[in-house]
Amino acid sequence: MERSARLQTEDLQIYRSDKEVLSGISFSIASGEVYALLGGNGAGKSTTLLSFLGFLTATSGTITVDGKEVSANLKAIREAIAYLPESASLYEHLNAYENLKYFLQLAGRTVDQAAIDATLDRVSLDPDSRARRLKDYSKGMRQKVAIAVAILRDTDIFLLDEPTSGLDPSAIDEFHDLVRGLADAGKTILMVTHDVYGACQVADRIGLLRKGKLVGEFSAADGQRIETETVHRAFSGRTANTSVDQ
Amino acid sequence: MTAVLSIAAAEWRYWRRSRLALVVVALFVLTLAFVSVLTNMRVAADAEARAHHQEESEETFLSQPDRHPHRMVHYGHYVFRTPTPLATFDPGLDSVTGQAMFLEGHRQNSATFSSSVSSADLGGLSWLTPAVIYQVFAPLLIVILGYGAIVREREARTLAPLLAQGTSAGALISGKLLALFSFALLLVVPLAVTALRSTSDGESASVAASLVALYLLYLCVWIGLTVLVSTVLQKRTTVLATLAACWLTVTLALPAIAVNATSRAEPLAGKIETELTMLNEVRDLGDGHDVDDSVYDALQASLLEEEGVERVEDLDVNIRGVLAGRSEAELTETLNEYAERRMQAESRQARVLNRIGWLTPTLALGAASRAIVGTDLEHYHRFLRQAEALRIEFVQGLNRVHAEELSYTADINRNRDEASSRRARVDASNWEVLETFEYEPAPASERLARASSSLQMLIAWLIALAASLSWAGMRLKP
Repeated sequence: MERSARLQTEDLQIYRSDKEVLSGISFSIASGEVYALLGGNGAGKSTTLLSFLGFLTATSGTITVDGKEVSANLKAIREAIAYLPESASLYEHLNAYENLKYFLQLAGRTVDQAAIDATLDRVSLDPDSRARRLKDYSKGMRQKVAIAVAILRDTDIFLLDEPTSGLDPSAIDEFHDLVRGLADAGKTILMVTHDVYGACQVADRIGLLRKGKLVGEFSAADGQRIETETVHRAFSGRTANTSVDQ
Repeated sequence: MTAVLSIAAAEWRYWRRSRLALVVVALFVLTLAFVSVLTNMRVAADAEARAHHQEESEETFLSQPDRHPHRMVHYGHYVFRTPTPLATFDPGLDSVTGQAMFLEGHRQNSATFSSSVSSADLGGLSWLTPAVIYQVFAPLLIVILGYGAIVREREARTLAPLLAQGTSAGALISGKLLALFSFALLLVVPLAVTALRSTSDGESASVAASLVALYLLYLCVWIGLTVLVSTVLQKRTTVLATLAACWLTVTLALPAIAVNATSRAEPLAGKIETELTMLNEVRDLGDGHDVDDSVYDALQASLLEEEGVERVEDLDVNIRGVLAGRSEAELTETLNEYAERRMQAESRQARVLNRIGWLTPTLALGAASRAIVGTDLEHYHRFLRQAEALRIEFVQGLNRVHAEELSYTADINRNRDEASSRRARVDASNWEVLETFEYEPAPASERLARASSSLQMLIAWLIALAASLSWAGMRLKP
């Protein structure tokens, strides 16, 4: 049975400074699905992602979240989405707990200390570092705190912008496990990345963006992962206009 | 509301941890304390000296022995302008306008400086008063503390996740404004204490409260401007440079340009030139010392006719005293006319200067502050008018004594010999015509009314900034 789309764009076109940055983008993502938007620099990945948050307005076409037009329901939609920017954007003068509490407070969420610790355990943040200010954290550690914020907000939709950029291989694996776990728990995840291997590891479907156009889409067969070689060939331009079900 | 409070609290936490607020507050408190002590010492010493001189001058006048009354007219008397209780905070024009005046017959002297304390005593820093610290330096502290309010979030990329999770731009901006407002409240505490203390020295509570509210309003204008620039511009360095330029322009450059421009737009007639014209007019009035001056023929004739006598010696009054009184009244009318003309020209100039407050809130605040405290131009004029009222009252009192207590015969023979000279004196008790002088500043209602136009300027600034912030908030994106 076809699952209902939680995130959807329909013939999306966006202009920035009189330049077309997205053209005719149409895709949808259902609950429990991890969708990776793959593309090189300037392909329009982050632009697509930010359009779901209403930071960019569609010149034409539609962007909907749970069937609601984003521009008309900005506040409600933002409250329903957890967004993880490319570089974990947190406060360096605060420690992990303080960062979490501040973001959650502003999101209107009250979370007890036990839940916070449980989530930090889940993202594998070393307990000894939690009370240290983030200025002493590595990028991976910051990313874990940012993910913890997203998890603790308890939203159903996650937008992840280059989430594994700058992480070491073991941290990437841990992150992928976490994303899969969230998807298995029914969360909807849209991640943008230029990491072909990572996308194939974690995504149920991959959309390939090139120069603002969705030029290919790859889906995994049941219980399988998307084949890296196929996607890599398309990504590097050796095949195009691909729609592959493996 | 919870979000706004959380953002404000987070801003304070950032300031505390970066030690920025601590350094800024310490700097402000130290400068303010230093300047307050110096200004207090100066104004208090001035006030004490003026009160002492006033008392001494009155005692000296009243303790004069029996004399010819017209000698007392020329003996003269000093009056001093005592500072208002809040002049320790904003001495305003006190340091550039005279505070003492020598009162004597036939002349309206300029106000002079009573004390030797001048800029030189403070190493040229007498312009640095607590009011100036608030008007010029407090905005700088707000800029230093607040310039990163929004742009810091943008540069640290925390703006995107905040907005993305539904925190509204309005809440974010309001939180930053609230944090800076609470800092401004802290800044005005020393002023509030000064204002409170002034009420025990006789200052009106409404004046004291209005002064605190006025400065808080001014700081709010700076808070609005700081957060607005921080919201609109994209880089911290650009924000800081823009705000520094605004600070320099608004607090220093524009007021200085405004003063020069006003002098050109509303020039005052030169003092020497005016006095020469006035002297020509005064010469036509006649000499009150000379009974034979033809200008007074009609007056003499009417007095003789009134009393039905032929000679001035037979009049009940001393014609010399009557003429002195008439001459002084006519002279005073002319002098007052010139004085009023000059004061009106000065007031016009001040009004033009105050209107430039629409361009710079510092100028608007300065005008309102001086008006409320009682150290503005109008209060200086008030002193001149009160001093003149006393001068004409005691001079005419002495002329009446001259006319009524001293016979004409004794008067004209006063230089014949020692005995004649003694006969031409009146009793020293007549010197009681001199009233005690106590400078009365304008009542609170008048001072507040005079500050209202500047207050409107500050409110207009605040409304414009609020509207701009609301516009910038609607367009705020990471």
